[in-house]
Order: sequence, then C-alpha cells, then structure tokens
Amino acid sequence: MNSILFGILAIVSLFIFMNLGKIKASKKQMNRDDRIKWNSRRKPNIHENRDGSKIIEGSAEEISDKTKH
Amino acid sequence: MSKHSALNTFGRSGNPAFTRNFDNTGTFSQSERMTLDGAVNKTAILLGLCFAGAFVGWNVPALTLPGLIIGTILAFVTIFRNPTKAGSTAPFYAAFEGMALGGITVYAEMQYPGIGIQAIGLTFGILASLLFCYKSGIIKPTENFRLMLFSATMGIMLLYLVSFIMSFFGSGIGFIHSNGLFGIGFSIFVVGIAALNLVLDFDFIEDGAEKGLPQYMEWYGAFSLMVTLVWLYIEILRLLMKLRSR
Repeated sequence: MNSILFGILAIVSLFIFMNLGKIKASKKQMNRDDRIKWNSRRKPNIHENRDGSKIIEGSAEEISDKTKH
Repeated sequence: MSKHSALNTFGRSGNPAFTRNFDNTGTFSQSERMTLDGAVNKTAILLGLCFAGAFVGWNVPALTLPGLIIGTILAFVTIFRNPTKAGSTAPFYAAFEGMALGGITVYAEMQYPGIGIQAIGLTFGILASLLFCYKSGIIKPTENFRLMLFSATMGIMLLYLVSFIMSFFGSGIGFIHSNGLFGIGFSIFVVGIAALNLVLDFDFIEDGAEKGLPQYMEWYGAFSLMVTLVWLYIEILRLLMKLRSR
C-alpha cells in the first residue's frame, strides 16, 4: 500500500511538472527588480584612451568662458 | 559589477552547471531559440533515459561504479568543456547516471525493502511542489538567495570531499553518516539545499526562454535540472536509510 501511494505521488508529480513547466511564471515572479541576472557575470570594462591613460571619473573640470581668458 | 565580490569571483549559482556565463549575443531565428516547452520536453527525454539506465543498473548492479565514474566525467565535460554540445553529452550522462542510481537503489532495497519507490515519490513530489511555488511567485529567487545557496552547496561538497579523502586513511567525519539526531539533521539540511537548487534551475530556464538564448541551452537547462534531481534523489535515499535504520 505504501509503495502504491508513493508510486502515485511520483506519477502525479511528473504529470504536474510536464504541464506546469510549459506555462510561463506569474507576473509577480517575472516583474521584479531583484531578479537574478544570469548573464551579467562579466569583467568590468576598463576604459582607456588611445595613449593608454585611464579615464578617471569625477575629476574632470568644466571649462567655462571665463577661465579661457 | 555585482555588489557581492564572492559572486564575481566564484560564479552565481550553487549548481556548478550555472557558473559559466551565457548571453544571447549572436543572431538566431525564432525557431533556433530556447523555449519552455523545449526545455521541459528535453528534461522528460533525460528522465526517460535515466529510468532506462536505472533498469539496466537494477538488473546488473556490477555496472554501478562504471556508471557513476562515466556519468561524473560526462557531467564535468558538459559543464567545463563545451556546454554547446550538451545535446550530445547530456543524454549519455542521464543514461550512465541512471545505471549508477539503479545499482545504488538495489543495494538500498536489499537492506530496506520499498525504500526506492519512497525516494522516487518524494523526489518528484518536491520537484512538482517547488515548481508550483516558483511559477506562482511564492518563492522568489534573488541574488542573496543564490549567494546563500552557492555558499551552502560548496560547503557541503567540501565536507563530502574531506570525508572521502579521510576514508582512505581509515578515518572520516562520522556524524554526517551516522543515524543519530545530528546525522539525520544534517541529511535534512542537505535535502533542503538540494531542493532549493531546483528553484535556481527553474529560474535559469525561465530566464533563458524569456531572453531567447540559443536552442542548445534547452539541453543545458535540462541537464542542470537532472544534475540537481540526481543529487536530491541520492540525499533523500540517504535520509530514508538513516531513518529506517533507527
């Protein structure tokens, strides 16, 4: 009896997997900001000028008309 | 770059099959893209091959060790050598791993009759219930969730590796194999971690189908699901054996 119950559980579960697996996940699951980014494991891009010097963000100064003269 | 430096160093998933990077760069027609139907159908094919292999292993238990060794080699080849060829290696992996599982189940059945069908029922029961929880949004995998699972899975693998190496010197980590409360608690923990890895498999397949990854990723997603299912089955079998031996 025990084996029959577990056998039925296995067959029903496989049936559920085969049907439910083909249905898209709910909007609650898909439309989240904290979803796992599966294809974003990349090394950071290093931006370099042609002469090999690196661009340092945040240190640039704005050149105004007054400073030119 | 992720705010978790460990993720960038070691990868993002507990399942080693997901530690590689895939993207959908390149041009593919709509028929060459990954779909949910394709991934589920290919998982069914792999499960069928696994059952066929298990039938062979059940009748010829001497094939357990060769099946385990060849299956493990094929898994590493699929993960680390060429995931694009998962369509050729994954079916063989499923068949050989099935052989090993058939032999292991015979051994367990000889000691505790009826334990095999219990483990199969529980494995597929967990698969279906977690799939429902994932699809309905009850369980939401996040980066922290993945980091936690990755850490726990690697910790368990390391513990098994140390225990395996120590066994050559006539020693071992006794509590993880014992049928005491600590041993059973450890097995329940490992079953929980293996089961939660299924959620990552579902998310990977769902994400791949949504982004339109190349079609060979259907095989890779199905293979990843098989790796987790095989691990879950073995851990449930171990847990049931511990419980029955008390």
